Amino acid sequence: MRDVIVFVEHRGGQTRKVTFELATEARRLADALGGKAHAVVLGKGSESLAKSLQNYPLNAIHYTEDSDCDRFLLEPVVDYVEAVAKASGDAVVLVPNTMLGRDVAGRLVARLEAGITSDVTEICVENGRIGCVAPKLQGSTITTCAFKNTAYGIITVRPNAFAAAPQAIGAELIALSKPAGKSYSIAIENDVEEAAGEIGLEEAAVVVSGGRGLGGPEPFETLLRPLAEALGGAVGASRAAADAGWVPYSLQIGQTGKVVSPQLYIAVGISGAIQHKVGMQTAGTIVAINRDGTVPIGETADLLVVGDLFQIVPALTALVQEAKSAPA
Amino acid sequence: MKIVVTVKLVPDLAAAKRIDPSTKRLIRTGIDTVLNPFDEYAIEAALQLKEKLPDTTVTLFSMAPESSKETFRKALAMGADDAVVLSDPGLAGSDVWATSFAATQALRKIGFDLVLSGALSDDGNTGGVPGALAENLGVPGLTNVRKIEEIADGRIRAQRETDTGYQVVVGPLPAFVTVTMAVGEPRYASLKGIMGAKKKTIATLSLQELGIEKPVGSDGAKTEVLAIDPPKSREKARIVEAPDGATGAKAIFDFLRERKLV
Ligand SMILES: Cc1cc2nc3c(=O)[nH]c(=O)nc-3n(C[C@H](O)[C@H](O)[C@H](O)COP(=O)(O)OP(=O)(O)OC[C@H]3O[C@@H](n4cnc5c(N)ncnc54)[C@H](O)[C@@H]3O)c2cc1C
Ligand SMILES: Nc1ncnc2c1ncn2[C@@H]1O[C@H](COP(=O)(O)O)[C@@H](O)[C@H]1O
Repeated sequence: MRDVIVFVEHRGGQTRKVTFELATEARRLADALGGKAHAVVLGKGSESLAKSLQNYPLNAIHYTEDSDCDRFLLEPVVDYVEAVAKASGDAVVLVPNTMLGRDVAGRLVARLEAGITSDVTEICVENGRIGCVAPKLQGSTITTCAFKNTAYGIITVRPNAFAAAPQAIGAELIALSKPAGKSYSIAIENDVEEAAGEIGLEEAAVVVSGGRGLGGPEPFETLLRPLAEALGGAVGASRAAADAGWVPYSLQIGQTGKVVSPQLYIAVGISGAIQHKVGMQTAGTIVAINRDGTVPIGETADLLVVGDLFQIVPALTALVQEAKSAPA
Repeated sequence: MKIVVTVKLVPDLAAAKRIDPSTKRLIRTGIDTVLNPFDEYAIEAALQLKEKLPDTTVTLFSMAPESSKETFRKALAMGADDAVVLSDPGLAGSDVWATSFAATQALRKIGFDLVLSGALSDDGNTGGVPGALAENLGVPGLTNVRKIEEIADGRIRAQRETDTGYQVVVGPLPAFVTVTMAVGEPRYASLKGIMGAKKKTIATLSLQELGIEKPVGSDGAKTEVLAIDPPKSREKARIVEAPDGATGAKAIFDFLRERKLV
């Protein structure tokens, strides 16, 4: 494997920080492998996004505005990525470990007869061989995997695990041509954004999450959001809160939700079930607020404050706001 | 309609004491295997369809060691009709590619109008197998489905979760659908179900019966594990009692200051 190909996830040309992390990592890997770093941007808004990706150290950015990528589920997207990979002949494909990224990755395994390692937080290259480090079994073990018997490796990468560093090196823009004679079977009839305008949870530097302890939907708006905003972060939730219908599932953190690695994670009224911890235990600093001092989140947190969230959160928000407005 | 639900056996993570501190290796012996919890939701979705659509059968399929066959009784007791297990020593050590390659042949042999699976597994957590299966089988794949709205006239319409919301998608059958936990809590087996499950068939298939000659298992796998380590352990949490809001807020604020987070 020599070339490195980044699958760029975006919505109408708006992408997330993970794209820049992957582009930066692709350069490092391509240098170590002696190959080139590519990115693939597909669907509406691709051309302008491709141009802005020229601020990153890629050799080539392949793009197409083909509207089939937005009208049909997955198949057109996978066709294009496959074509770029096959043209390289020998490549690693980096995709973000998100719902879409995982879908693309699974398909590519079959198309390219590829190996796959998922939720990777660290990549090393030794003697031309790639080693991928990833937490497994609900974070209880860290495995290092390598590829064998194949020209292609797929890596799904955890957002926020790698640094992003812009550097323009004059990446070539390459317009992709539409594959001939393709028809696609799954039409997207309706595409609804429920968490529009939010900072992407996965890329937020600070996540303030609420659980069943919040008791209803209102405290998410009246308590958590002001604190998250004061800290420049995003609001997340436990599954219990999403199941109760207090917040959309797109805010859920954990094994069946999003995996986040922010600098700071504040768990409010969340007990810390293992399935929740899987989604946040690699955060830099973890603070928990819970009225029960024996909850499992205490095993993962750096600081556990035992008390009533309804009193603590507003007081904390006020302190943070005060500090922000005070001259340093 | 013939529905096949793919199910994976995973270590019972809730029960397992996971790492041997002396060897730093995963303890595999003595850990029970259970159905991947996500697949129980796929079974639930299949049984909901069986209740709605006439002449619908639900077959469970798993690639798993022969010794684990009886684990499938629990799923049969929920209401599935029968089970097929692909077991072969040659499959040990299969990765996503090898699993999906072998399972594809088995699913072709079993035949289906609809395959349902969980979107992720509890152990590897790759979620790669369903996509690779759909691709190999050459059928449309509807992923992360939270609600099957309708199956009629050879077409399926479903709502699927996305990272920012949801989509409504439509495609032809046969199809491959992965479901999320939003399809509904898996039902409990009734006493009648448990009794009935004892008489249901659990058939086995081997690689030879499927005519698979390519190496699968660890020989055919496209990935290998180089090392398994315990996670870096965090220091124990500082615990602060907060009889009132101001005390608690100050404790957190000072801590964030100390770590230069505010
Ligand atoms: C297969 C599977 C997958 C799952 N996936 C996920 C997942 O992805 N994400 C996830 O989060 N969960 C997941 N779960 C569910 C998980 O097991 C827990 O049930 C869930 O995380 C609990 O949510 P919670 O902590 O908000 O609720 P609870 O466990 O009920 O905790 C609420 C906490 O709030 C505290 N509290 C209440 N009132 C106050 C107050 N006034 N002040 C301070 N504290 C207060 C309580 O002491 C309690 O600790 C999954 C479960 C399964 C089986
Ligand atoms: N060995 C297997 N046998 C049957 N189904 C499987 C197997 N491995 C994975 N699957 C299916 O694919 C889903 C995702 O698994 P994975 O890709 O391993 O995370 C599971 O929920 C199963 O439905």
